[in-house]
Parts: sequence; structure tokens; C-alpha cells
Amino acid sequence: MAREKIHVGLEIGTTKVCAVVAECHRDGEMRILGVGESPSRGVRKGEIVDFKNATQCVHDALADAEDRSDHEIKGVWLAISGSHIKSFNNRSSVTLPEESTITAKEIESVEFKAKEAGIPKEDVIIHSVIQRYYVDGQEGVIDPHGMMGTKLDADFHIIHGVTNRIQNAIRCVREFDIDVEDIVVNSVASAQVVLDEQQKQAGAVLIDIGGGVTDYIVYKDGAVCHSGVIAIGGDHITNDLCIGLRIPIARAEKLKIEEGSAITDNISASDKITLKNDTGFSGRDIDRLMLNMIIQARLEELFGILRKRIQEVVPEHLLGAGILLTGGCSLLRGIREAAESVFPGTPVYLAHAQSVSGPMSAFENPQLSTCIGAAKYAQAVHSEMPEESLLDRVKGFFSGRM
Amino acid sequence: MITYPRWLDRGTGKEPVLRLLGIGNAGVNIADRIAVRASLPLETVALNSDQQSLNASVASRKTALGPMTTHGLGAGGDPEMALEATRESMSELRQSVEGADVVFLCAGLGGGTGSATTPQLAELARANGSLVIAVVTTPFQFEGRRRSQQAQEAMQGIARHADAIVHFENDRMAEITAPRTEAEETFAACDNILFQSVASLTRLISCPGPMAVAVPDLLGVLRSGGGAFLFGSGEAEGGNRAHEALEQALRSPLLDRGRLLHDARKVLVHLSGPRSLTFAEVAAIMQEISKNTAPTSLLHLGVSVARDDSAPLIVTLIGHCGTAAKIEAAAPAPIAEPVRATPPALFAEEAIQSTPPPSTHAEPKTATPKVKQEDLPLEPIARGRFEKVEPTIVEGEDLDVPTFLRRKLKK
Repeated sequence: MAREKIHVGLEIGTTKVCAVVAECHRDGEMRILGVGESPSRGVRKGEIVDFKNATQCVHDALADAEDRSDHEIKGVWLAISGSHIKSFNNRSSVTLPEESTITAKEIESVEFKAKEAGIPKEDVIIHSVIQRYYVDGQEGVIDPHGMMGTKLDADFHIIHGVTNRIQNAIRCVREFDIDVEDIVVNSVASAQVVLDEQQKQAGAVLIDIGGGVTDYIVYKDGAVCHSGVIAIGGDHITNDLCIGLRIPIARAEKLKIEEGSAITDNISASDKITLKNDTGFSGRDIDRLMLNMIIQARLEELFGILRKRIQEVVPEHLLGAGILLTGGCSLLRGIREAAESVFPGTPVYLAHAQSVSGPMSAFENPQLSTCIGAAKYAQAVHSEMPEESLLDRVKGFFSGRM
Repeated sequence: MITYPRWLDRGTGKEPVLRLLGIGNAGVNIADRIAVRASLPLETVALNSDQQSLNASVASRKTALGPMTTHGLGAGGDPEMALEATRESMSELRQSVEGADVVFLCAGLGGGTGSATTPQLAELARANGSLVIAVVTTPFQFEGRRRSQQAQEAMQGIARHADAIVHFENDRMAEITAPRTEAEETFAACDNILFQSVASLTRLISCPGPMAVAVPDLLGVLRSGGGAFLFGSGEAEGGNRAHEALEQALRSPLLDRGRLLHDARKVLVHLSGPRSLTFAEVAAIMQEISKNTAPTSLLHLGVSVARDDSAPLIVTLIGHCGTAAKIEAAAPAPIAEPVRATPPALFAEEAIQSTPPPSTHAEPKTATPKVKQEDLPLEPIARGRFEKVEPTIVEGEDLDVPTFLRRKLKK
């Protein structure tokens, strides 16, 4: 029993709430035991807008996951998203007395200083990810522990979000006396399982397009250099179709999944899709060209915004591993082509969780990337920490946040 | 063209003196509001024949009118008595406009004091060389014909001397609030919109900025002749301020939720914000506004920057609606172009002439209806299911509105 730890990743998404129960081995292996899902209500753009409904959905998903994995869930690792999540890079430095070695204390204090950067007072820091250390100006130090030096600099990538909104998501889970062990931002979670070490080194962008929001994270030289959230997702495409084609939302969603594509080439103007009539909706013929044009316009705009933001931090030719698309919306036909047209010359792939075992249907589903990633993140955090201090850390973490 | 006194050249560094005169009960009310609420560079003067209302006022200067005639009891809506009181206090009136570069005259027309004194003050102020802007309300229709008659006469008197008249009809103002709103709230909302308009005009004239509004532009918009005065103002803070402030401004009932902007031939947009106001925000707002206006309309843009970094972003829309179709009965006869009978000696070197009614005013008349048909009613903006959630704004664009609509892809 002691060899394997079980971690649960939970994502309260705009389209669905899902929970992944995974068994994590000491050697880094991870096996999915069960996945619980529930269609989401009361969540818009990745944030909770109807607490009661959202709580019910969380309950359903967790109950489903318990059933399927035959494991009683006591605590979860919660993936967080929403447009309030922002990030920036910050450098801090500490000076050491002459002729001394760098210890854990200095490393801790350099991180502490980096976190002192001014974030809005209603915000809280969710992650501070180390990018690189410099010892006496020497670049590319991976672990300065035990090195000699008089000055230690460090670059951190800081991700922060609005405290109250994060609290709401946590409270949703706490309603059932289930502990939230820690939170992780969607993009960081997805990157745990979708990207491997080589891709992170070569430079990669992970774009997770969900129902309500798009999370993205950029890696260069093995470190996070940019991350963010844009509150646009699959729901926007559905909404566009609903307005543009004048059909009900439910119809638009179905049409998007069954027929929608982001490719407008080689479609004849006479190509029609017939929608059968239904209660409250008389049947119609829909122009396929119009349908695809609306989807294409939305996706190209989204990728255009992402490209602008990514270019500010990394020139495209340095993205050796290219762009990886995941999340539910990456299942849309032609999305890869739409991305390629916006990022010319950069390879674009559709990606899902890697290096995990379990039912194929689970990890090959890009909708679950974030959720599996949250469990993987839990494993990564645990493996880095000695057993005894972890409890203190988690405790301290929450007492600080409460 | 009109050349204006030198204080309007912003190079000289001398701050223009702006003075607001509140005349009569309604006017004093507005003056009080301004004096209490706004940190505007405005001097407020309360003028009334009713001593009680003056006592209660918080204006920086108070002038009792005709103490001998009315014994401080007010004119009681009697124009004869009010006129008598005005004559008695002529020297006080002259004092009250002295030394001001811009004079705002605020009054509710249709009563006694306001109707009788305001035209007099306009004349005196104009003779003094001030820029005169009258902000007046006309009575509700249910107040009877006599009152509206009095108001109309006063209006004509004011129009002869004032540079511009900002005219609010109470009937239209009442639409601001829902029909079931308490009476008190309705009056407060009316007062508030008057206050807002004076406040924004003041900001417009006095605030320095990278892109100041030229006074001729302002006057051109204010007196494009006839019709209804369009006014909307909104303020907001935070990351989404550009969108929110504009939304608020467009929601103004005096714009009929943005619809009346289509009919306006000239629209003046003024943005006032903290130093963090970005060009992208300005561009986004202007883009949004141009969607709401007819393509032939002339847009004037002014941007001013407050010294205070925590200042909110304020969007002000001022326009004049060409046709008075909506409010035919209540509207007074089209306001005459202000004409100065005899230019006072003071102005000899400033060469002030009234603007010749430009031919451009009449020309687009035929084109307007055609334009109106093409334009889709853009309000409500199509946000569909995202109607009630926090909008996604990136670089000033509301991304919840379908991309194909924003890019105007062909159907």
C-alpha cells in the first residue's frame, strides 16, 4: 500500500466536471483507475456563476469517479481556470556573505523575494515556477544547491489569480468534506502529461481549448516562459453559430460536433446540411460554407490573439516542438489546419495525455488532459518533497490562503 | 469663423474662469448638486427670489433677487412679479457674471424666476464677453399650456444671446426611469442627468489633454439647430472600463439606447481618464461608436487626462438629433441661431461673428433616410448566451460578439 499513492485530479470545467483517480508509483509511473464525469451547470468561462448547481455537479462527478475506481476520495487536486488568472516573469536576487555555499535557505529566500512582486491586493500567487538560476552572473545553473557564490539571482514565472474566485471553486469541493490538497492552474496541469521533457527543452506551446476558456503555456529551454488564459472556447463557436445561422443553442452545439469544420476550401456553394424539424424548431437547410466560415473566423481570431502573445516572449522559429492542441475543442475538424494557417511554418499537432497507463479511452481523450494532468502534478509535487515536510507545506499553504 | 478670446488658447497657461449660475428653484438645485459632488473647476452662484431656497443652498455665492418686490418669498410662478424682481436686482446680476470666461446658466423654464431672469443674464454675460451656455429644462406637458408658453418665450429670449442651449425636456427625462419608479427617484434621476451634462461640459472645456475639444466644434454640435439634444455619459474603472463606460453612455435614455445616434449629424465624443488610458482603448471606443452612428455623420473626438491616477474613465457623447419627430408637440420652435445685435465694444478686436448657417447642414437631409435603412439595429449587441457574463475583452474588442459579425463577413 505504501508504495503506491492515489491522487485525484478534479476539473470544474465549463462543459463538464471530471475527476480522475490515478495510482501513482514511486518510479513515476501512473495508472488511471477510474474517471468520473458529470455535465456541468453553473459554470461560465471556467468560473463558477451558480454555486449551488456547480456543487451538485462536482458531487455527481466525484461519486461517479468513486464508483468506477472503487476508491474512496478524501482529497483532490483541483485544476483552476478563468480569465482572472494572469502571469508574469520576475527576477530576484540575494547576496551571500563572502566565501559561503548556497543552501536551501538562500534558495528559499530568493523565491520569497520573487513572490513579493506587486500583484493586485485581491490576488493570490498560485504558482511560482523557477525558470533559471544565476550564480555570480553565471547563466544556466539548474540547481545552485551547494555551489559557492556571493550572489544568487533567479528568474521565476509567477502565476496569480483572484483569491475569491479561487476560493469559490475550493468551497465547491469542501461542501462534501473532501479536502482540496492543492490547486493547479489548467495549463500547468495539462503540460504535465501532454508535453515531455524533450518538447519542453526544444520549445513548445500547449494550447488547451475547452468549452469556456483557452489555457496556454509556453516552454522554452525546459522552463515555462509564458502562460495565460483567454476566455474564449467551444461555447463561443456554438454561440456564433446560434446567432449566425439562427438556430437554437442545443442545435448549434450538435451541428458543431457532427458537421462543423474549420476548413472552407473545396466547398461548393450548394452544399447544404438538412436539419430535421423538432419541437420548437422547424427544419432548415444550412449552408455548409457559412457554417465552416463562422467556425474558421472564430478559430483564426483566437489563434491570432495567441500568436501575438506568444511572439512577445518567444520568436516562432525557436518553437522546435511546435504547437500542441488539446482540450475538448481540439476535436473539431480542421482546427489543426486553422492553427497552421495562423502560425505558418510551425508544426501543429493534436495531443493528449502521454506516459500514463489505464483505459485508452481515458488518456486518449483530449478533454481529460487537464484532469489527468492535475493528478500527475500531484505526483510530481509529492516526489519532490520528503514525506514529512509535505504535510506541513500543505497545511501552511492553506492557512496562508484562508 | 469665430475667433475666441485668448484664454481658450491653451498655451497661455491661464486657467479660464468657469461659472455656473443656478437660477430659480430648479437652477439652485442643480448648482447645489455641482457644488457638493464634483471636484470641478467651477464657481457656483445661486440666484433666486426665494430666500428660503437660498438659505438652504450650498453654492459658493448667493444672490437674492428682488428682495423689495417679492420680500424673499419667491415669485410664485408669476412672470410679471419675476420680471419686476429682475429689474430691481440688475446690478447684482451684472456682478454675478463679471469676470467669468464661460457662464453656464442653469434654470428650469416655465416658472417665474427662471424664465424671467435667465434671458437677462444671458444678455448681460454675452455683453461681458463670456461664452454663454444655457442648460435648461422645459416643463412637463401635464403642467399646462401656460407654463410651456412661458418656457417657450424664455427659450427664445435665451437663444438670442446664448452661444448654445442644452435643452432637456422633462417629458423625455421622465422616461429615464421605469414607469413604476417612485416620483422622488424620477426627479433625482432627472437632476442627475442635468448634473452629468454640466459636469461633462465643464470637463470638456477646462481639462487639458493630448487632444482637446475645440470650442467651435463643441458649439457646432450644440447648435446644429432644432431637434433633440442627445447626451450620454458613462464612467467605469478596472480592466474592462472602456467597454463598460461606453455601454453606460449608450444606455442613456436621451440617446434612446443608442438608436438616436444614427440620426445625429454631428457627434462629439469626449473621453476623460487617468494617465493609464491607452490608445487602444480610445480606438476601441471610437470604433464602437462609429458602428452606432450613420456613416455620414461627423465625429469630433476629444481626450483629456486627469491628474489623478485613480480617476475613472468617463465617456461623454453629445450630439444633436436632426429631426424632432419623436417629440414634436413638446419641442419648442427651432432655436434661432444666436445673433448678436450689436457687438459690444469689448469684442472689437476679437472679431466675433455668428456662424453663417453652413450649407453643409442642409445638404445631408436627403441622404439620411437611405443610410438609416442599411444600418442594422446594433443594440442589443449580439452576445447571445454570454449576455449576462463578464465579457471577454482583448485589446478593447468584445470577443463574445461573433467574430464573423465583427469582421463583417459576407453572408
